[in-house]
Amino acid sequence: MSNKAVGMKKWAFSDGYIPVQSTGHEPDFVSSDKLSVLNTTKEDATINITLYFTDGEPVGEFKIEVKAERVRKFRINDLIDPQAIPLGVAYAGVIESNVPVVVQFTKQNTAQSKLALMGTMAFPLD
Amino acid sequence: MAEEWVNWSGSLRFTPGVVERPNNEEAVRQLVTQALEQKKKIRIAGAGHSSVPLVKTDQILVEQGKMNGVIAHDEETRRVKVLPGIHIAEIGEALVRRGLSMHNTGDVDFQRLAGAFGTGTHGSGIKLQNLPGMLTGCRLVDGRGRIREFTQENNPEMMNALRVSLGALGFFTELTIQTETARKFTREEYCTHIDTCMEHLDELINKNMMFDFYWYPRNDLVKLRLCNPEGEGMNKLSFAHKIKHEEGWLYQILPRDRKLKFDEMEYAIPYEAGPACFQEIRKRVKEKHRQYVAWRLFYRTIAADEGYLSPFHKRDSVTIAVLQNNVLEHERYFNDIEPIFRAYGGRPHWGKKFSLKAEELRPLYPKWDEFLQIRKEMDPEGVFLNEYLKEILGV
Repeated sequence: MSNKAVGMKKWAFSDGYIPVQSTGHEPDFVSSDKLSVLNTTKEDATINITLYFTDGEPVGEFKIEVKAERVRKFRINDLIDPQAIPLGVAYAGVIESNVPVVVQFTKQNTAQSKLALMGTMAFPLD
Repeated sequence: MAEEWVNWSGSLRFTPGVVERPNNEEAVRQLVTQALEQKKKIRIAGAGHSSVPLVKTDQILVEQGKMNGVIAHDEETRRVKVLPGIHIAEIGEALVRRGLSMHNTGDVDFQRLAGAFGTGTHGSGIKLQNLPGMLTGCRLVDGRGRIREFTQENNPEMMNALRVSLGALGFFTELTIQTETARKFTREEYCTHIDTCMEHLDELINKNMMFDFYWYPRNDLVKLRLCNPEGEGMNKLSFAHKIKHEEGWLYQILPRDRKLKFDEMEYAIPYEAGPACFQEIRKRVKEKHRQYVAWRLFYRTIAADEGYLSPFHKRDSVTIAVLQNNVLEHERYFNDIEPIFRAYGGRPHWGKKFSLKAEELRPLYPKWDEFLQIRKEMDPEGVFLNEYLKEILGV
């Protein structure tokens, strides 16, 4: 196994939007924005997320721990510390880590019963 | 004027005329006597965890912090005399050093004991009463400046009025509590879906000494929390994923740190109505509120008691709490959920948000008039009343 660190320490995504409505059994089919963070290093990653809105001040930092050589996935819907973010509004995010990580951003829209799913890489900044 | 006083969540702010910090019973008696002579009002502050204006005053605010500690304990009866300003966490540790324990604690442990009693603070457990259920005797300074002493054996009705008394009957200067022999507990937390939780709800409640659950409105998952004496209760739940296991004294493993601040409304409803009430609220939150609400709902059970103003008066109960980040708007959410609680015969937690006034509260409490009569006898001049107490008591 290679010990090489993969990824970057700073990432961003700009197309955040979580529909208010969902259909289907939850949590599997809840409308959501999800971040997947891969930490290939030997050190635990501390992830700080700041969210930006079209109207209103930024909210953050949301702190997430990703253990060494692990991947962690979480819905932005579920974050409450320092505060919950509203559904149904446009937002964007900047993700900063103490070690290089790989960040993928996935959107799931179940506002109507035909599942819509889209995944993309967050934008690496360093 | 004194400095601004702010409660734990930051939702209650006021500036008292003066803050007094007596360190013994005689100092409290003198404060009350002086207030009577000067026709001033007194309110009593605990640790400030409550988010309703029970303590609000522009006159004399009396803090309990210097009246703190264990006075004595009786090894045979396991009754312990303490001062009113002792924190829940402090008394837990002090009792274990004597081989003793409280029967339960709330979700947090930084309240002062007299304040926790005054608002009817509780934990969870279908056979466990709220915290003031421990109170078997007390000394207090009443609204006439008299030092009074009451015991369960000699004054049972007065004790039922005193157990949850909102600081309206006097200033406690000594509390006698019934404790239990300390024993080690196991605490476990599990994660599962709300539907699975509700399918197993009866056995979770009845097979564990302490059980409660959180429901997360944005994903329909729940956290189940079980706490039992070592070797007792359910373990290795087949229908849920274990996420935490702790062992220790009850005071060490039961309360949780709450650094993230929130506002809260909680109602006690008859035990049998708990699941239906919860499901109605769950439906309402998912349909109307989760655009702005991600915080959990909290479901607990508490045994019936005899306290005149106890939300659990003569009925085993479920409590359901709705929470919101303290920096976000909560009134629209709480105001919309409150009628559901009321439709199920709910009684509000005295220390948390609610909108009811005396005319709506009186029908909920069979001993309401008896409590008011005792209040009038204990404090005829209303030295312990503020505007908020007048509103909710109708005096």
